[in-house]
Amino acid sequence: MSVEILLGIDLGSTTTKAIALDRTGRIIGRGITNTRSNYEVASQIVREEALVQSRFELVRHAMAADPELARIEKMFIGSLVRNFRQQQHIEQLACLESVLHRCADVPRYASNREAVKEILDHIFQAMRSRVPGHFSELAVRKSDFFRDLAAADYMQCAEQFSNPKLASFDVLCGLFDAAILEVENAAGDGAFERHAGPALEQTLMSVAADVRAHETRLRSAVESVRSLEFRVMGMVGTGYGRQRLPFPKEQIRSEILCHGLGAHAMFAGTRTVLDIGGQDTKAIQVDGTGIVTSFQMNDRCAAGCGRYLGYIADEMNLGLHELGKLALESTCSVKINSTCTVFAGAELRDRLSLGQKRPDILAGLHRAIMLRAMSLLARSGGISDEFTFTGGVARNPAAVSALRSLVEQNYGARKLNISPESIYTGALGAALFAQRSADERNVA
Amino acid sequence: MNAGESILAAGIDVGSSAVKFALAQAAADGTENVLALHNERIRRRDLRKVIREGYEVSLEAAGVRQNDIAYTASTGEGELVDFRRGHFYGMTTHARGAVFLLPGTGAVIDIGALHARAMRVDERSRVMSYRMTSQCASGSGQFLENVARYLGIMLEDVGPLSCEAKNPESVSSICAVLAETDVINMVSRGISRSDILKGIHLSMAGRYTKLLRAIDACGDVAITGGLAADIGLFRALEEKIAEEKLAMRVRTHPDSIYAGAIGAALWGAYRHRILARRTEVVA
Repeated sequence: MSVEILLGIDLGSTTTKAIALDRTGRIIGRGITNTRSNYEVASQIVREEALVQSRFELVRHAMAADPELARIEKMFIGSLVRNFRQQQHIEQLACLESVLHRCADVPRYASNREAVKEILDHIFQAMRSRVPGHFSELAVRKSDFFRDLAAADYMQCAEQFSNPKLASFDVLCGLFDAAILEVENAAGDGAFERHAGPALEQTLMSVAADVRAHETRLRSAVESVRSLEFRVMGMVGTGYGRQRLPFPKEQIRSEILCHGLGAHAMFAGTRTVLDIGGQDTKAIQVDGTGIVTSFQMNDRCAAGCGRYLGYIADEMNLGLHELGKLALESTCSVKINSTCTVFAGAELRDRLSLGQKRPDILAGLHRAIMLRAMSLLARSGGISDEFTFTGGVARNPAAVSALRSLVEQNYGARKLNISPESIYTGALGAALFAQRSADERNVA
Repeated sequence: MNAGESILAAGIDVGSSAVKFALAQAAADGTENVLALHNERIRRRDLRKVIREGYEVSLEAAGVRQNDIAYTASTGEGELVDFRRGHFYGMTTHARGAVFLLPGTGAVIDIGALHARAMRVDERSRVMSYRMTSQCASGSGQFLENVARYLGIMLEDVGPLSCEAKNPESVSSICAVLAETDVINMVSRGISRSDILKGIHLSMAGRYTKLLRAIDACGDVAITGGLAADIGLFRALEEKIAEEKLAMRVRTHPDSIYAGAIGAALWGAYRHRILARRTEVVA
């Protein structure tokens, strides 16, 4: 059996996103990766990821259609996905371990190789014991990306097991930096094929008896999508890396167009769009059909872009998820003096070591990034009703709250739309363009 | 104590990505020796702890006890060295360290993680004039470090790789953070890591020669600071200087990255001797 789909891929600088639509234009799969080394690899990974999610979505559809299973659909799929992710994580961890060992096999470590390897063994033993904790039902993960999860665990374990004489913390960090790229770039082909089986067994073992009673039907629901073939009827690429894609020209759209259309598809009343992506910020005005009428863009300086917050999060050893929440705890926001991202990072360190509170400094940093966005919006023609905020930064509650107050102060009451899936706006716009072209081809 | 004795002093140079330690001995006859040097990368650890531990490592390496140290001086971002006796401004310590390591130095370029400073010095290592980079980290050491991490290259390998470049890729002097993306694009265009690194080194070197020209530097120019050990940057500076036909010769020393810490230790010993003399006079 095969299913027809349309793909939109948004190649950002920090993350690459994909959206899969079914033939009716309904979103069935999303994929995201933080691989940044190579756009071809990134788009392959993200496409694979969107197809994996599409399979889960189709399992969900199959279950929802079965009156017996509809009741337990949500918890079953939730558990299945968690077990699937855990399997994937374990596989990547094993890959990381072997690459690290290979990185230690260079002449530089000839004298202490045995010690380095022994310490690596300790680290990985400890890391493996932490895995179930990351994927339990109630786990709050710092990030969904392997790199972030593994780096946080690795650094903690490395600090614990490092030995200044045999294998210092610095040496262990250097090895990790060299190894992680290769692991990230190992595009996991056929991930669903490999992990769905074990994940299903694990899920069936852990669920309540009344769910297990449906074992045969659950198995067949998963099995049926496992062998399913996807037929990609159209694919459009957008984003910063679009020129690097091995796509023909007609399958590429500018990110401005895609964000305009994507925001319109999410909120039909949209007239102004602010997109704060990883490495650029766009202020876009659109008409009633989602077509762009004017825009302004900053892609020359990281201050005011998502990378600014990403850099700060790295600096504080926090996941990007945690940054906004922490900033919201502020009682007295500080004023940040530096504009440059790197200098703001240094200012942050200085302020921390002087004993200022993390939430207060973070609140100041969030306000700083939004002030830059406000000036871009003003240059693009102001803020009209309704105002849609998209991009990765729209998921950050402190950024949203800073924006809300600045908009209110400068323009008065505006309806602010934010979709929880706003990071996929560009990819959605691209997928919709793919759908349009497929429809046109059909008509012709 | 007697002002005629030889003095042990410690210098601690707190930078934004590493802390450098130096233990120096200043004899009454004016001879100065470095007993131990130590470099500790911060790597987001607690800075107070890094300073304390690094200090102990350097004491151990020199085989001395903390009580033997007559004067502990900080330089750089030294507020957190809570056991120091005094602090010296970064420019004076780098000048002192550079002249100590490379006698005959006429100008110093201190290249750190965030800033670069060029200063013209006299033979007594007084700073005669100086110029710094502006409030943007474009082309800074931190930027180079980010790029190295991104390329999966250990910092020690950056210089040697850069020297292997055949067709350096020119890098526009844009934002230090976003330039990372430029690098991603270069990688996907199939440009070698050597050519990328060399391109960055050349663009950085261009900024530094501009600073050096602004202070009318000539003669021997000593490189100090965290990037002094980067052979790729050194070669790039040589090339730029030749290309612009400047009357300068860049020099570096294996211990150049410790110039600030060494300078702090030497100035510390000097200050201690003066203080001790004064106390003697009063007594």
